[in-house]
Amino acid sequence: MTIKRIKVTSAKCTGCRLCRQICAISHFGEINPRKAALKIEAHFPQPGVYRPRVCAQCGKCMEVCPEGAIYRRDDGAYIVVAEKCTNCGLCIPACKPGVIFQHPDVPYVIICDNCFKCTELCNTGAITIHVRPVKESA
Amino acid sequence: MVVFLKAGGQLREKLKPDVDHYTRKVKIDGEKTVAEILKDISLDPAYVALIHVDGKVKDLSYKPSDGQTITLQPPVSGG
Amino acid sequence: MANEFAGSGGLAGTTLRINLTTGEIKKYPTDRKLMREWFGGRGVVAKILYDEVPRDADPFGPENLFIMSAGVMSGCFIPAGAKIGFGSISPLTNGHGDSNMGGHLGPALKFAGYDLVIMSGIAPKPTYLYIDDGTVELRDATRYWGLGSLECEPAMKKDLGEDFEIATIGPAGENGIRFSCITHDFGRQAGRTGQGAVMGSKKLKAIAIRGTGSLKVHDLDKLTEHVTAIIQRTKAHPNMVPWQKYGTSFFVGWSNNNAVLPTRNFQTTYFEDAEAIDGPALVEKCLITHKACFGCWMNCGKYTKAVLPGKETVYLEGPEYETGALCGSNLGMTEINQVCYLNWLMDNVGMDTMSGGGVVAFGMECFQRGLITTDDLEGHTLNWGSVEDAEHFVDMIVHRRGIGEYFAGGTKRAAEKIGRGSEKFAMQVKGQEMSGYDGRYAPGMMLAYMTCDIGAHHNRAWTITIDMAEGQDTIEGRANVVIYMQHIRPLFDCWCICRLFWGELDIEPEEIVEALNYITWWNIDVAEALKTSDKIWNLVRCLYLERNQANGRTFDYPPARAWEDKIPSGPNAGKGLSWEQVEGMLDDYYACRGWDNNGNPSREVLHDLKLDFAADNLEKIGLLGKPLPNGIPAVRGQRYKAKAF
Repeated sequence: MTIKRIKVTSAKCTGCRLCRQICAISHFGEINPRKAALKIEAHFPQPGVYRPRVCAQCGKCMEVCPEGAIYRRDDGAYIVVAEKCTNCGLCIPACKPGVIFQHPDVPYVIICDNCFKCTELCNTGAITIHVRPVKESA
Repeated sequence: MVVFLKAGGQLREKLKPDVDHYTRKVKIDGEKTVAEILKDISLDPAYVALIHVDGKVKDLSYKPSDGQTITLQPPVSGG
Repeated sequence: MANEFAGSGGLAGTTLRINLTTGEIKKYPTDRKLMREWFGGRGVVAKILYDEVPRDADPFGPENLFIMSAGVMSGCFIPAGAKIGFGSISPLTNGHGDSNMGGHLGPALKFAGYDLVIMSGIAPKPTYLYIDDGTVELRDATRYWGLGSLECEPAMKKDLGEDFEIATIGPAGENGIRFSCITHDFGRQAGRTGQGAVMGSKKLKAIAIRGTGSLKVHDLDKLTEHVTAIIQRTKAHPNMVPWQKYGTSFFVGWSNNNAVLPTRNFQTTYFEDAEAIDGPALVEKCLITHKACFGCWMNCGKYTKAVLPGKETVYLEGPEYETGALCGSNLGMTEINQVCYLNWLMDNVGMDTMSGGGVVAFGMECFQRGLITTDDLEGHTLNWGSVEDAEHFVDMIVHRRGIGEYFAGGTKRAAEKIGRGSEKFAMQVKGQEMSGYDGRYAPGMMLAYMTCDIGAHHNRAWTITIDMAEGQDTIEGRANVVIYMQHIRPLFDCWCICRLFWGELDIEPEEIVEALNYITWWNIDVAEALKTSDKIWNLVRCLYLERNQANGRTFDYPPARAWEDKIPSGPNAGKGLSWEQVEGMLDDYYACRGWDNNGNPSREVLHDLKLDFAADNLEKIGLLGKPLPNGIPAVRGQRYKAKAF
């Protein structure tokens, strides 16, 4: 069994946001990067870097969720149960990288579910899949 | 020895790839410059805008070693 | 708040009409028939300008329109579906003007729900257009007025939020410098045809857009599959790595080796120090990060900094090829940091680096020949290769001080004022300065400049490798190639996607049209696309003739340097064009277009393109082309045999 997450190499990011496009298309069947579960921070004019922000799988969202609407899957992803989520937004400030999103059209919070469609499309290696084995004791 | 030439765009048609869609294998006798290799296969270097080997820019006087891949970039069609 | 007009087929749904004089803002459902018939973007801009702007309207007056159009493909899941087109009557050419840029503004406009924004009038005070989904407001921009483009954008982001996409003009646009640009995303420009000057004349300092809506396309599943396949296939393309690394900047060296690199105001085509301003030097010395437009996996943008002794370190995007040539070799700059610095300077004051480079080069040649002196230049010199001189001269132009006033109108107007033979080396056509290629030993390229609908711009047709393949000493067949290019390349400006990568990565026109058909309801083929482009081209020509009231041929000549001077140095020394070739190319071109020998479209060709209304208008002013003795060609611009965009 392995745990997977997205690994970021900021220096390689060019800010194209293809990752956000494909994320929204995969999960909502819509062209709307505002529904993506990752974001690209642009720091311009200085120093001139893009910083992709992705789920760090820290689990803080699950801890603060009053509805028990978030659970941890075997592969490491934190999954939102749409039916249980009340969209209260308590998890949003708890998320350190700031990658839990709300959208007026979506009745629940949007969190990365490890589909890795974004890493498949990224052409610079700024986001890749990081794999590590699960410890036996876990 | 053998070198591989790689090209796309307008250059691809002139290169006549035989290994895969973009690559042509060229046998050469001893050390040769890229200019000489292009001459051997009748490819006018005027159509080559940039020569790239292992991520570095080289010029026509570069002498590739056995098995190396030389990427030939065609001119930008109006930048 | 969402908009009431739902979109589909790649359209966002809503069209905005804004009267800047009265502040009235109206929303309409986007005219789907208009979009279908004129392909959005450049085509729709052309039709609206033709229909709505009075023929005698001053480009800087309230009757001129300033139009933003994001086409049908911008914002969609399509490689580099990132463009936004701007259009108005050009203050440089006094004809149809359009210019586009990448970045993220076009997609933001679409996600906010708008396909088209049509602005008229003149705002009573400095204003910016604020769009936040359904909320559209004209807001006071007094506190931003006077700021440089690259200073205004961060100031506005600080005030409004990082997630707003912002386009601004600089002091050049505010002061009506006719070659002013619009800047976005810290270095993406809509540079040509003076769109920034029109914005400035309307007292519109900036545009700020945030959009959170979704775009609906005809068949998202097929589009996703098709586009994903293109992206995955092209990742391994041999051009990908060099392109990602250098963008277009590496092209300076090639141009130099092949006698097309404009050097010291197109006096020659060979620059001894080309290597020092070429792409590899840029990447080695100045690069900070690679930068891509929305949805583009090729990241041609190079975000750089310039470090020069005695000057503050500046941050900028670029220089790409055009700037490298026109602010580099064309000004005799011998070090890449100098080129970067001038790039930043022009970006920040808000002038097009291409026309700006051309204008400064023209000034430098005037100085070289003693036509202007230090007395005209506030005691300064204007020498080749001097950043200080160029910077001072740009400042004189931007603030219209002294002789700067002459140059504020571009090279054509400056030459008219300076006279004394300077017209010969005012390197422009129709008032717009030439791009970064000398066409003296690339006849097709010269014809492309001569006949380009917005003045001497390479965007419509670029033929240098075709000239090499077909023979640089002959003009045979060039008219057809130029026309084919003039039809296929502007399609990208209609659909508002980037043209660059399609040509570089072996993507066929059919694949683009397939993607278009998944986005829209149009179901067209390449032949229909080309014919529509032909229609747009002819309408733009008709508007040019109606506004300028003379035979088209009179506007289609390059400056006399093109045929009087042979290339004096470098690999093609001694080569050049003859007057007979210039005339011969125009004769061929008009015949291939179905225009008469005066360069005026004939009724037959206009009828074939369903432009009878334009034929009627031309007839009224006596500029309708005479019938062609052998009829018109069935297809204008036969598809060229090789891959060429």
